[in-house]
Amino acid sequence: MHGNTGNVIDVDLTERTVTVACPPEDWYLRYIGGSGLAARLFWEMGHFDADPFSPEAMLIFMDGPFAGLKLSGTSRMSVGGRSPLTGNWGDSSCGGYFAPELRYSGYDGIAIRGRAAAPSLLLIEDDRIEIVDAASYWGKGIEEVNNGLKERFGKNHRTLVTGPAGENLVRYAGILNEFHHAFGRAGFGAVMGSKNLKAIVVKSSKQRMALADSKPYEKLRKELNIRIKENLTNSLLRDSGTACNLEGAMFAGDVPIRNFTSNFSEDMGESLSGGTLTEKFLTRRGTCMYCNVGCKRVAAVREGPFAIPEGPGPEYETIVAFGALMGSKDLAAACKAGRICNDLGLDTISAGSTIAWAMEAFEKGDLTLKDTDGVELRWGDMETVIDKVLPAIARREGMLGELLSLGSAAAAERIDKGSIDYTCQSKGLEAPMHDPRGGGHGMALTYAVSPRGACHVAAPMLHMEMGACYYPEIGFEYELEPMTDTHKPEAAVRSMELGSIENSACFCQFADREVSIPEWVGLFNTVAGYGWDAEDMMRAGRRVFYLKRLINYRYGRTSKDDTLTPRMLEPARDGEPMGIEINFSGMKERFYELMDMDPEKGIPREATLREYGMEEEARKVWQE
Amino acid sequence: MQYWKDESEPIKAFLKLSEALKTDKEIVEGMKKVNQLIWYDYTEDGPNCSYYVDCRNGKFESAAGKPADKPDLVLSLSADNAHKSWSNKLNPVMAITRRQMRIKGSATSLLKLAPKLKKIAVYYEQVLRDLGWEDKIIK
Repeated sequence: MHGNTGNVIDVDLTERTVTVACPPEDWYLRYIGGSGLAARLFWEMGHFDADPFSPEAMLIFMDGPFAGLKLSGTSRMSVGGRSPLTGNWGDSSCGGYFAPELRYSGYDGIAIRGRAAAPSLLLIEDDRIEIVDAASYWGKGIEEVNNGLKERFGKNHRTLVTGPAGENLVRYAGILNEFHHAFGRAGFGAVMGSKNLKAIVVKSSKQRMALADSKPYEKLRKELNIRIKENLTNSLLRDSGTACNLEGAMFAGDVPIRNFTSNFSEDMGESLSGGTLTEKFLTRRGTCMYCNVGCKRVAAVREGPFAIPEGPGPEYETIVAFGALMGSKDLAAACKAGRICNDLGLDTISAGSTIAWAMEAFEKGDLTLKDTDGVELRWGDMETVIDKVLPAIARREGMLGELLSLGSAAAAERIDKGSIDYTCQSKGLEAPMHDPRGGGHGMALTYAVSPRGACHVAAPMLHMEMGACYYPEIGFEYELEPMTDTHKPEAAVRSMELGSIENSACFCQFADREVSIPEWVGLFNTVAGYGWDAEDMMRAGRRVFYLKRLINYRYGRTSKDDTLTPRMLEPARDGEPMGIEINFSGMKERFYELMDMDPEKGIPREATLREYGMEEEARKVWQE
Repeated sequence: MQYWKDESEPIKAFLKLSEALKTDKEIVEGMKKVNQLIWYDYTEDGPNCSYYVDCRNGKFESAAGKPADKPDLVLSLSADNAHKSWSNKLNPVMAITRRQMRIKGSATSLLKLAPKLKKIAVYYEQVLRDLGWEDKIIK
């Protein structure tokens, strides 16, 4: 094979066995790699009746075909399986340094099942793959463990580590690479914890991968690296990080404030912006392997109650989740909260959103001091969040820690009182920090129909609605106005296909905005030898989306679950989107028609599945 | 050109807009923060179709043509698209994506003024009225 290696490490932690499996080559062509291939492996090997924390549960890490290329934006990978947060299919993606190292070691992915008898780590050094004792790391924060692993194995050994939150089965625990890059979403850190797996470490002795057609690839690579670097958005990302446009987004009404109850605060926009981060706290810029965008931040807060030493700085999502969403304009507090979440292994989006929901519940009296162990949850009180709430969640300590460790949807169901209505989530996954009422109505649709739940990276709808996408080769020539439903279902179809391709190829959404459709096809063909035209590629994207929908259907999810909460659909109360209604049901109905999905079951019709070559899958859901 | 009869018209309108903006304290302060020499290059519509704004070191000056000093930022687009942009009818991200606008230099500071485009468009409409060019106003 080219690009891909054809090898997936198959680990049974209960039996302490490690083998190398070779998925059928056809699966790569049909499901690309990354989260698409992970979903296909899960369909084949996963126990659908297994609890996400049971030994039978699968945890699948998967590279895309581009991992290992010296091309900006390609050093990403996916993890997938049944999410402990949502109970559905979940996947999460992460940049950094692990994906290329795994590819160079000779593998496309790692499929893990079972439960180790004692805390363990998985060590991969080319052909040598071992399950190693990790008792000394258990209970420790990710920074300390990452440093310890580097000391023990070598600074160029690449790490994936889960933190105390993962060990304690917090349902939105994440996994970090190099203590900086996160598989944040959907709770796979807790799945690692449930398997007594503290870390995965990889090091290859070589830096090579086989390419299908290296000469045209090299020409393409050189052109793209220059264009990706010079792209205006990417130059802004390099200058000011992923929060570079926070002020502009604030004026558009895209930034959620106080649990989505407000869409405008000029003061917060300025205080929390990427420019302010650069001026006040940036010490240097960071990057994923081989990427010349350099959107990562390294930051230090030198003084004050939120002082932290130099280390990973916050992304846009973290800044808003621990800033505007909680009614705070204190950027230093957001830096510290992000650092603590990194160390404990908490997804900053779900943690921030769950705490913001709790603040509103406390304000309304739906949560009382009795429920919170005497902790007052007040808008903007970041000292309490940092010193008391986050540690309690990670340890699931007391009533407050236990409740908030469930995530906002399950916590709201537990306390009831109608508080589910003001959670901000879909299918149990907390929404990211882009409010579709201002950011774009199409995003409301893609949040709702995204297989893993409310997600802004399942589909590049945010980029489409802001005008950053133009793909005439596949009929995407729309000039979209964010706060209308015009052309949104049509755009959402293309967006879901493209998002599935991005997340299966594991190509960064920032870098790949510069890649045209013919260039995407060129990459697949020159790197992996897929022999595609544009239609083949788009069909593969659609197929991946369909497959994840089928997995969810087997978990009982149907059309009725493709929705947002009342809070997210009520007209905004201020700012640019004030008073504007989202035509959600109209967009959804049209999307279903265009995707040829059954309006009740929420899955593609049987004939459509067959048309996409998914006969076995069609049989399973339509005939059994 | 769809909106202009010759290359002098857009420059006349845009320079008058610059003058009008100098009366707005908020926009003047915003421009000072940009602290750049910006060349608005519309030369695809004629060799003299350009102007510059110099907001370095607390200044806010504008004049026709290319600046004598090397600009910190060059925005190249057609005079028609510039007209749409000042009328707040051109999505700048979309214009860049579709290669209708090309940028050389750091636009980070200028981006901060993007939310003010709505306000600038009000001034621009008045400028067009003052010039007797109501027919050019984009509805």
